Amino acid sequence: MVRLLIIWVILSAIGIVAALQLNYPPYDQSIQGQDQASTLKLLTVLATPVFIGVVMMILYAAIYFRRTVPELVDGPPMLGNTPVQIAWVAISAILVLFLAVVGIATLSSENVAQAVGQPGRAIGQSGGQTGSGTAGGTGSELHVQVIAQQWYFTYRYADYDGVETTHLYLPLDRPVELHVTSLDIIHSFWAYELGVKADANPGVDNIFHVTPQKTGSFQVRCAELCGLWHGHMADSSGQVVSQSDFDTWIAGQQADFNTIGKVVPSYAPYYFPEPKLKAG
Amino acid sequence: MLRRVSLVAAGVVIVVIAIVAFVGLFMLRQPGPLAGTTTKLHLETVAALSDAVEWPRPNDPHPDWVGYLPTTTWHVPANSTIQVQIDQEDGASGLRNPFWGKVFGIEGGTMHVKYFDDKGNPQEGDMDSIDPTMAAHTFAIPDLGVFVPLLGVGDTAPPGTQNIITFSFKTKGPGIYRWQCFVPCAAGTLFGNGGPMSTIGYMGGELIVT
Repeated sequence: MVRLLIIWVILSAIGIVAALQLNYPPYDQSIQGQDQASTLKLLTVLATPVFIGVVMMILYAAIYFRRTVPELVDGPPMLGNTPVQIAWVAISAILVLFLAVVGIATLSSENVAQAVGQPGRAIGQSGGQTGSGTAGGTGSELHVQVIAQQWYFTYRYADYDGVETTHLYLPLDRPVELHVTSLDIIHSFWAYELGVKADANPGVDNIFHVTPQKTGSFQVRCAELCGLWHGHMADSSGQVVSQSDFDTWIAGQQADFNTIGKVVPSYAPYYFPEPKLKAG
Repeated sequence: MLRRVSLVAAGVVIVVIAIVAFVGLFMLRQPGPLAGTTTKLHLETVAALSDAVEWPRPNDPHPDWVGYLPTTTWHVPANSTIQVQIDQEDGASGLRNPFWGKVFGIEGGTMHVKYFDDKGNPQEGDMDSIDPTMAAHTFAIPDLGVFVPLLGVGDTAPPGTQNIITFSFKTKGPGIYRWQCFVPCAAGTLFGNGGPMSTIGYMGGELIVT
């Protein structure tokens, strides 16, 4: 038993060191992405000794308790082992409570992902969605609306007269408030490298925060099965750029937008386009 | 007992055959691609396939569906300029997102449109956008950044009129690029995006770049 314990400690130490060397998705292009990667790393490190222990027990049982000849009788009854059971329950409880404390501390931090309790806006963050964590960054918050429709995302920049664009550009190290909505059915806005994934529902302003930390491109795709071209509802042209490059880009977009801006509705938290059914 | 089992088995077989027939004949059936690789696309858009003038499709299972003709799958060369002419015969039904009333991603930034004005007089000119409420369809290849709104035929235009829209765009490297219409033009379907908007061969297809 002691020998097994020593082997488990050694293998666990090796496993933890290996787990610490891995890069965890969604990597580090935003503060929120870094938070998610750190959480994944913590979970993996904690799970590694448990995983190794379980595998060792399976192998040990398979090797030392194997039957070499066919028998039709039951084995001897298992009466339990009190110290092992106490240790098992205690270690599991400590791990789970530790993770609960980490989770509660994150959720109660001052910069949670979504605005809460504002009329017409989404409240809370449902399971499976990410984008939370500290806002961080410098400068004033940039407000960007993500508009989903079958089958493309467009973006409106509220701080720049509601200019609408076909790609998402974000300035480096500036906190961004994303307002995610839809013009038709349910979609899901997933900017993978930024660590943001938010439901896009018609009539709902779903608010998330992100602070880009690295320049470069990122992907945007729909993560909710939404019809024929769902698999193509993606754009790899998302860019995190410096503030000066962003200023240049948004000025160009505003000039382009002038040709259609007069007939595009004013910026609003969400839209109810008509007709929902085409006549005819 | 044997008779009951046989009846159940026969029923199951009939249902399976019906499902396969439905999927095969109506869900997956689509026109084949244009023969050969081309740098010129000449297309027709109609309110109902049965109204097609230039490329009738008499055996189509959905004669009352809106569609592009003669097909929606085209082979084009990589890194080339593709010239497009669309003979647009459908009336306007409007864009859900007015933003798509603007032209994006084509050569010169404008399309050339021959149409009839409010008084029924023939007009033509270069346009970089149209009134979003006057859009009948769009020709959009998002991965190439191409978005072109197609002006609907006005009520005052002579019967059987076409708006003729011409423009050109450049392809990128080899690949399959989806294209679609952004006007919710599928009459009678939820949000106008069912039926022909959700079936390849009508208001969406593939640009196969080789």
